[in-house]
Amino acid sequence: MLLFVIRRVIMIVPILLGLLLLTFLMVRFGGGDPAAAMAGDAATPEQIAAIRDQLGLNDPIIVQFWTYLKNALQGDFGVSVYSNRPVGLDIIQRLPATLELTFVALLIASVFGIVFGTLAGVYRNSILDHFVRVTSVAGLAAASFWIAIMLQLIFSMELNILPLRGRLPGDIPAPTAITHFYLIDSLLTGQWNAFWESFRHLILPAVTISLGGLATIARFTRSSVVASMQSEFATYENAVGYPKRRIVFPYVLRNSLVSPVTQIGLLFGAFVSNAVAVEAVFDWPGLGSYLVAAIFAADFNAILAVTLVIGAVYAIVNILVDLAHGFLDPRVAERM
Amino acid sequence: MIKNTLMKTLSAVALLSIGSPAFAAGDEISWGTTLPRGLDPHVVYDNPMQEFAINLYDTLYRYQNNPPEVVPSLAESYTVTEDGLTWQFKLKDGVTFHDGSPLTADDVVYSFQRLLGIGKGPSGAISSVLKSENIEKIDDLTVQFTLEEPYSPFFSVVPLIAIVNEDLLKANEVDGDFGAGWLSANEAGSGPYMLDATTSEPQSIANLERYDDYFMGWDENPNPIEIVRINNIQENSTRVLALLRDDIQMTDGYIPPDQIDRINESDTARIQKDESMRIMVIRMNNMRPPFDNLNFRKCVSHAFQYDAFIDVILKGVVTRNPGPLPGNLWGVPDDVKGYDYDIEKAKEYCDAARAEGAPLDRELEIHIQSAQDQTTQSAQVLQQGMSEVGVNLKLIGANWANLSTETTDPSTSPDMWVHWVSAYFIDPENWIGQMYDSDFHGTWKASSYYQNDEVDQALRDARLETDHEKRAELYKTAYRQIVADAPDLWIYNSVIMRGMSKKLEGMKFNPVSSGAEVRYMHLAD
Repeated sequence: MLLFVIRRVIMIVPILLGLLLLTFLMVRFGGGDPAAAMAGDAATPEQIAAIRDQLGLNDPIIVQFWTYLKNALQGDFGVSVYSNRPVGLDIIQRLPATLELTFVALLIASVFGIVFGTLAGVYRNSILDHFVRVTSVAGLAAASFWIAIMLQLIFSMELNILPLRGRLPGDIPAPTAITHFYLIDSLLTGQWNAFWESFRHLILPAVTISLGGLATIARFTRSSVVASMQSEFATYENAVGYPKRRIVFPYVLRNSLVSPVTQIGLLFGAFVSNAVAVEAVFDWPGLGSYLVAAIFAADFNAILAVTLVIGAVYAIVNILVDLAHGFLDPRVAERM
Repeated sequence: MIKNTLMKTLSAVALLSIGSPAFAAGDEISWGTTLPRGLDPHVVYDNPMQEFAINLYDTLYRYQNNPPEVVPSLAESYTVTEDGLTWQFKLKDGVTFHDGSPLTADDVVYSFQRLLGIGKGPSGAISSVLKSENIEKIDDLTVQFTLEEPYSPFFSVVPLIAIVNEDLLKANEVDGDFGAGWLSANEAGSGPYMLDATTSEPQSIANLERYDDYFMGWDENPNPIEIVRINNIQENSTRVLALLRDDIQMTDGYIPPDQIDRINESDTARIQKDESMRIMVIRMNNMRPPFDNLNFRKCVSHAFQYDAFIDVILKGVVTRNPGPLPGNLWGVPDDVKGYDYDIEKAKEYCDAARAEGAPLDRELEIHIQSAQDQTTQSAQVLQQGMSEVGVNLKLIGANWANLSTETTDPSTSPDMWVHWVSAYFIDPENWIGQMYDSDFHGTWKASSYYQNDEVDQALRDARLETDHEKRAELYKTAYRQIVADAPDLWIYNSVIMRGMSKKLEGMKFNPVSSGAEVRYMHLAD
């Protein structure tokens, strides 16, 4: 088991290095000139050339990559050509917003996905089952951008029960920063108004992101539950007269959870990339909207650093999922 | 049981609607726009920064009214020597920065030197004519600039340069960065509003509070806005919805034409329309065949449906502008009509071009800015017109960041591309001067790579000439020749469409601030 864990963790290094090299090359050769972007509209060619020298853009590409790597390992991701602030600082400020949004979305997708999937599987071919199967296809098919705007129109404009955008209303300052997760911080410091408003503002963006994943988890859970319900031990328990609840909870569910849990881990990466469009619509001040602005501004340092961070988070989550997989089903750990 | 669950769900949902009111009553407004990418007015210089800086910073002179005039601001008067080289500005006494410290000649000298030292933002407007060592303090209230050569637009450029708090910036300087790292998320101004840096978040939220000791005073506006919350809103749809919900009371100046009726018909908001000085241009790379052929360029100029584009696609919200200067600026001759949509004439010119050997039959490219719908729309209109004369035009998606750099070299600059030229400063130099003087080849503004010796001479003479009438004549001469040579297509002059709450009154427009000066505004009772 220990060997399994160690092997998984070490894998992060080559994964991240490869990601960094690939993104670096794509961004450098993808067109656009960071020196001109930094210099701005009113710059003369001489000013742009001076900045190009400053940024080391005239060095061979290997040297540039090596310099970047060295600095990155020390936590220096360069300066944003867009905002003139260290990119690392920008990322640290914006990462918690995206993480909070993604975690809540994941929670919604997991809880509701597993609940609906289990119910659909246990009460197979009932009306509930059909409803879950149909709406899950819709949830997968619809574009998150469109869902975001639809939810805004329905719940903010027409019904006026949820806020339109942002993390908090303008007149409520952010809760005292401890974890930088507004929900947690406001609870810890007893700022109930901030807690309630953070919660209200989280709902629409988190639901938007969760829908695709909710659908997937529901379907996977349903299939697993159906399979488990048809297994021999379930048939035996049914024949013997156990109530459905006693069959499902301790026995069927434990066996069925392996598949959805894997899904949840993989979904995390999908959610973070989904967050890009959703953050832009809801003006959620996270990495997603930061990345969008950086791409439009050809801000190479920001693009590189955000890609690296998202890649690292994704890799770490996947490894955690592998570990969880190993614990839920010890046979897996042995095989690996 | 189902009914029970349903009732519980509905009550929970209803509970959700309990929250803070959309907008706190009183003298606070929320402004939903694009925040500048950094808050340092010497580093960033674009439309969002112009609107932001006008509220937090002051300049020696400033623009006012429409058509705009330059009026005293921090300075009360100026003198310039006969040879146009030495400028002296006399400052007003008693002006203070937001931290209470006095604004003196030292701060003015520092501000200009800082701008030149950083080398970004609006520094390009003066870097070729002013060296740091030639900026001196004569006494506490007098500053002197000695230019390298006479440069009449200098006076028009002075309003772009924010005066910053020297002591505050020196205290926050790191590794000789002039405090730029700190200033990108803070402020060091003297203007009517101050930034609350503790509750603001870079590129996301900027909270402003009124500065009671503002040197221009608050007598003209007895009920000014006390707090301005600037929210960065990325999507047009969110911005419009927020305005309709009264979550914000003001937007940016670029509401899309298809949203105008919806906003005007609402109970909460309206559109404020003002003619600005921002011309839309379709550029042609005059150094690359067939665009080096005059007949071909005239063919293209007659193949664009100017009126249809403006009246139908843009619903008439802009005004036709047939030449390289905004129609509401001085220096525009009365007798130049420009090009109109005439397919027969276009065909004649294209036939003539073909006869002269111009390679019309290769596929031509027009690069658009994917984030700006109007560039796509105008390119499609041109594409349609060109197909009628038998020329194949292909649209290529791009963005401003890439285009503004590719166009700095004629070999990488596209065949055609679409962009605007904003009112960076109010002087013909900003448009016709920097677009068509061959000295500016190597910048995106001059990316038609037009070369005409007489025009060069006229524009250079105009730059040195100190007599206003003579300057106007020189620009008119250049204008006529340029239009005759058709290096580009000039389409329209922008009308700023800003969404505003019906309760928000007092807005005053000029093409540089675009009306974003909150100090004139108040809320109706």
